[in-house]
Amino acid sequence: MKMKKGVLAVVIVAALAAIVLIWGVKSYNTLVSKDEHVSQAWAQVENVYQRRADLIPNLVATVKGYAAHESSTLEAVVAARARATQATVDPAGLSSEDIAEFQTAQNELGNAIGRLLVSVERYPDLKANQNFLDLQAQLEGTENRIAVERRNFNQAARDYNTYVRRFPANIVAGMFGFGPKGYFTADEGAETAPVVSFE
Amino acid sequence: MRYLLGNRLLTVALFFAMAAPLYPQIPPRPSDARAVSDFASVFTSRERAYLQNALVSFADSTSNQIVIVTVDDMGGLEPAEFAYGIGQQWGVGKEGFDNGIVLLVKPKRHGGKGEVFIAVGYGLEGAIPDVTAKRIVEREMIPHFMENDYYGGVVAALDVLMPLAAGEISSREYEESGDYGPVIMVIFCIIVVALAVAAIRKGGGPTDIGRGGSRSATVADAIFWSTLFGSGGGRGGIGSGGTGGFGGGFGGGFGGGSFGGGGAGGSW
Repeated sequence: MKMKKGVLAVVIVAALAAIVLIWGVKSYNTLVSKDEHVSQAWAQVENVYQRRADLIPNLVATVKGYAAHESSTLEAVVAARARATQATVDPAGLSSEDIAEFQTAQNELGNAIGRLLVSVERYPDLKANQNFLDLQAQLEGTENRIAVERRNFNQAARDYNTYVRRFPANIVAGMFGFGPKGYFTADEGAETAPVVSFE
Repeated sequence: MRYLLGNRLLTVALFFAMAAPLYPQIPPRPSDARAVSDFASVFTSRERAYLQNALVSFADSTSNQIVIVTVDDMGGLEPAEFAYGIGQQWGVGKEGFDNGIVLLVKPKRHGGKGEVFIAVGYGLEGAIPDVTAKRIVEREMIPHFMENDYYGGVVAALDVLMPLAAGEISSREYEESGDYGPVIMVIFCIIVVALAVAAIRKGGGPTDIGRGGSRSATVADAIFWSTLFGSGGGRGGIGSGGTGGFGGGFGGGFGGGSFGGGGAGGSW
């Protein structure tokens, strides 16, 4: 009788342990896939920013040919590009500080490009140059892509953060070190494309 | 069992989370998957039917979905955002191919600015780069729009977008064609006049093309444009889809294509 009771207790404990384990595994797997989703979204964000950085040498070369007086503005763009391409973020972390830092570097580049595009207003020959017009269309397209990918990333991060913070997944997240992810914040300059008005 | 059920619930929840609209400003996906959503009423019903027909038969033959949307109000969104929102939320283009295009037009009215944007799905970004989209906007659409000819501008854009999306011409060919555009136009006009003169001299009276009002005028126009840009015998060109019911939507509905920010826009 005593023996039977012991067996029963063991069975119950084992069953409970199994349920907890299954639930833990499930939470863990969900966390991993959501985390992976965030990393993918981040890779897209880096891609589109890189795409913008790749346009800069061509832009600088084109502007230089027409607007030699703008050398300081051009240098500012080149320097901002160098800082922006150095600002890499470990896709495993993606804390809000990491992202804020990345965003600051990228915004600086965006602002530098914006200033350059404003200063070229004084050069009608450049504004009529087909190569320059093409570059401008590409820049606009890149800014559109940046906006799209940033929004996608924020969505993925929000989905992940909601899951991580909610009970009971937060226990598993704490055990395996799944921290919260940061977001891109809306700001002037990066959100709106540097547009040159022709009016 | 519990595990499975939990998973399924999660999938359902995820599905709803993804289906939830990103932007409340964007009109809901039309249930009949129609190709032309003329919210701003810039087309006549006949023009709408022609566009609809051409776009549906184009989708049938190439699987590329092109959607035309006109609006008077974008609810405070940028034209680019609005166009991507439509593409993404309606799911224009086939899933996996992402071969959708959204042609968004906000007519110039009430003293406001006219805006146009061509949003190109991920899968067509190679065939229609931003620079080409920009050129289509500036070269084909805005000149017509400035004269309040919305139909003409949209048709002119489609006559380039369709062969580009179908891979019949490359963006480079289109861009190079621009330099010869006026020349070709003049030569074409001369040929048309010469043929007309020849036909009248033969004593046959006006030809079929000359008869019957606006319908044949748009067809002639379409043939003219497609010839100009070599879209190949009007396959999928405007006005070529004479058969098939008017007003129907895309065969299999919208396909769930996604948009990554390709395309370009302009204003006038």
